[in-house]
Amino acid sequence: MSDHHNNEGLGVETFDARSPSRRRFLKTMGASSLAAATAPAWAQIAQAGQQQKEPVEPRDDGAPAEGEQQIQLTVNGVAHTLNVKPNAVLLDVLRDRLMLTGTKKGCDQGQCGACTLLVNDTAINSCLSLAVSHDGDEITTIEGLSQGDELHPVQVAFWAHDAYQCGYCTSGQIMSAVAILNDDNIGSDDASVREAMSGNICRCGAYKNILAAVQDARGKMEGAS
Amino acid sequence: MSDSIIGAGPKRIDGQRKVTGAAPYAADHHPDNMAYGYGVFSTIARGTVTGLDLDAARQSPGVIDIFHHDHFPELHRSPSSMAQGNKVEETRLPFEDNQVHYEGQFVALVVADTFENARAAARKVGVSYQRDDNAIANLDQGVKAHGTQKGQGNHERGDAAGNFDGAAHSIDVTYTTPVENHNPMEMHASVASWEGDRLTIFESSQGVVQQRGALSKIFGIPQEHIRVESPFIGSGFGSKLWMWPHAVAVSAAAREIGRPVQLVVPRQQMFTTTGHRPETRQRMRLATDERGRLVSLRHESINTTSFTDQYVETCGSVTKSLYSCPNLLVSHETTRVNRGTPTSMRAPGAAPGLFALESAIDEMALAAGVDPLEFRMNNYATRDESQDLDFSSNHIREATEKAAEKFGWQDRNPEVGSMRDGHEIIGYGMAACNWEAIKRECEARVSLRADGTAYVTCATQDIGTGTYTIIAQTVSELTGLPLEKITVRLGDTSYPKGPISGGSWTTATTLPAIAAATREAIKELKGYATGEKGDFAGVDSDSDSLTFENGQLTHDGQSVDYVDVLKGQKLASADGHAHTQGADDKYSYRSFGAHFVEVRWDPGISNLRVSRVVSAIDVGRVINSMTARNQVEGAIVMGLGMAHFEATEYDARNGRPVNNNYAEYVVPVHADQPPEVDVILLDYPDLAFNEFGARGIGEIGITGMAAAVANAVYHATGKRIRDLPIFKEKLMENVPEVQSA
Repeated sequence: MSDHHNNEGLGVETFDARSPSRRRFLKTMGASSLAAATAPAWAQIAQAGQQQKEPVEPRDDGAPAEGEQQIQLTVNGVAHTLNVKPNAVLLDVLRDRLMLTGTKKGCDQGQCGACTLLVNDTAINSCLSLAVSHDGDEITTIEGLSQGDELHPVQVAFWAHDAYQCGYCTSGQIMSAVAILNDDNIGSDDASVREAMSGNICRCGAYKNILAAVQDARGKMEGAS
Repeated sequence: MSDSIIGAGPKRIDGQRKVTGAAPYAADHHPDNMAYGYGVFSTIARGTVTGLDLDAARQSPGVIDIFHHDHFPELHRSPSSMAQGNKVEETRLPFEDNQVHYEGQFVALVVADTFENARAAARKVGVSYQRDDNAIANLDQGVKAHGTQKGQGNHERGDAAGNFDGAAHSIDVTYTTPVENHNPMEMHASVASWEGDRLTIFESSQGVVQQRGALSKIFGIPQEHIRVESPFIGSGFGSKLWMWPHAVAVSAAAREIGRPVQLVVPRQQMFTTTGHRPETRQRMRLATDERGRLVSLRHESINTTSFTDQYVETCGSVTKSLYSCPNLLVSHETTRVNRGTPTSMRAPGAAPGLFALESAIDEMALAAGVDPLEFRMNNYATRDESQDLDFSSNHIREATEKAAEKFGWQDRNPEVGSMRDGHEIIGYGMAACNWEAIKRECEARVSLRADGTAYVTCATQDIGTGTYTIIAQTVSELTGLPLEKITVRLGDTSYPKGPISGGSWTTATTLPAIAAATREAIKELKGYATGEKGDFAGVDSDSDSLTFENGQLTHDGQSVDYVDVLKGQKLASADGHAHTQGADDKYSYRSFGAHFVEVRWDPGISNLRVSRVVSAIDVGRVINSMTARNQVEGAIVMGLGMAHFEATEYDARNGRPVNNNYAEYVVPVHADQPPEVDVILLDYPDLAFNEFGARGIGEIGITGMAAAVANAVYHATGKRIRDLPIFKEKLMENVPEVQSA
């Protein structure tokens, strides 16, 4: 596995993700120190935060059963080795196997954006992505954004601006916002943000407040980085 | 009251859980040994299931059982009474027989060890049908095939017909609205677990108490054996008010296989088996005298309902009382179609009804040669003529004036298509909005704890409106405790009975109960303090001279922290329970407001946009200014969706929905948000309604919105769109064809 996705020099892939020694290492050091060298500011927060969450430990160290494939996912800085069926969707694996239920399923067909998360820093709809296609990938979910009780600037802004109502699309909105704010190709004006966020439906219609939150967080993130 | 936390805009107490993904929604629950269900749904709209080929599905990995009409426990129907607390909208049980009444009806339920296995197996289930080719696909077909049934909510006063003919000005126009789907972000979901004959179900529900009552009747077990939990809901807009067949199916399946089962209704079936706003046809006949005063008003509507149940969309509910008119008729009828049973969707009745009424008022004003704003000012009712009651509080004139001024209505050139900005033609439109204020009975419990916190429970839900936060504000107001010291627990039938989260009645219903329970807890505390072991032993606990303020009991200049009262007697808490009653009938309790909308129509590229909205809303007192404003802004967005995009289309040949997904049933996205949305909250407390003066705010913002857009579109284009939604294609009709060389 060590040859997979040596991504942006994050460094974690130089360890065998399946080995207990790596997990001990991560627990001791915290992933943030590994990520600090090259990752953007929000990514450091993302990976460090997971240390507080005590996610479900990898439990598929054994050989995969017939029809299954063993994959390694590094989720919020924590490595997981999983035996999955080829028809298992990334979203379902995160929710049902790793119990990371912060990422939501809104349509299961890539139309609503509720399941947005980051794969190797890129925002995707996780309901459209088979888990086996993410072997070796670095995944950041909503659970990985905050650092303990210290919320990510986008989370702080969503809370302060009441940028939600029911909260169900919120994880996806926040993950898209994080990606957009780190994408130099997307303009900082309101119209550009609206256009870029349009893959994330908010049926409660809190768009005005979401826009305000994204623009507010922009200032905070620039200040932090 | 300037320093009161009531009316302030504190951020939500549940906000951290929402922004970190920690708020638990129904399908986030994974009890040990949980299995997964996946439905198989009918692919015909009318007929009979003649056979099920289950061999391939049974051999599929991980399959535990497959339920269908020949393999399902015998259950009972719920009487479906809101008063009894067991209302369901679709009374037919899943798998009750082999009849198919609509496309997307449950015909089987596969249960397997994983979600992937359940889904894979469900797709292997073969279903054969005897299709009835007489499926009724829409309202027109229903009326032609079997006519209509009478609905409720009808009203007549004076002689509307007799005063129509011969009036100075009159219009006779018909409006139609399509099926709309709530489409909350969270798909309906249930996780059911049994221990013996005790059922626990996590449900995405706007009404856990009603669901418990219905499950009790359906499974024939005591309510005390059923716990329905819904602490967080990915909203509902009405679709989650009453339990739908999936929750019955999954509860039965879990009991049969002896394991917890999770079932999520796929997005496609959110269009079929969890309710919708029905199709309507509304004939409006209005007449005025020479001066433009209404002398006759008739609002006659027909809506579609299912073959299994009667659902009436009370389109004329607002028409009865918004305008003054001595001769008025409101009637509601239904016709049966092969669709699932409709249900309340945000502002039921009023949302489609005010599209018709407020469009018709615009047409009537123009026919009478009066400015639409002036026409409304001249005709707004000053009392509820349908009930012969005064309004408890009505500031619609001020709302209309304030919004008009901020919007700049006086700059409107009334001539159609006269206002231009470059390539764009600008249209201004307005409409009134209106919604009934409702307050029901409610119970709540409040504990003032020895650790310095308060713990509040009520079975009502927070569907995203901010109920958690306004309840905490209420307790804070009465105790002086800061919000962070107040824990609120909702959405659980273990707690005192609370109302459904719907009809904009949650705030007005729950806050008086919360306040009463808080006062009861304070009373208990005073009893401890004045008891023989207390700091104020011998003082009359009911005496006005013994006060409780900011956590301190004070008498005769001496103050004691309430925590010390409890600790001094080794007590955990002082508790209060309250049971408050519904509203009286001394007044007509309603909320009012007005929307002003600017549209921009670019005929060259057929582009239509709502560019500006100014709305002024009179909902009594605002409890939380931030969440209240959010409710109205969100309702405006949903109203824009209703105006511009939203329609579930059915194939007229066979009744099958053709755009049952989130991409083809178009809802507003970020890019559709008007650059300017300005909401004015008038904030006049309605103290005749309840001690806080709040009337509720969830529905009113959507009412009138579609009409305001349609009226603006008419002003811009000269095209009167009486059939929602206002697709751009409808504006392009009659455009001359391009001449080819």
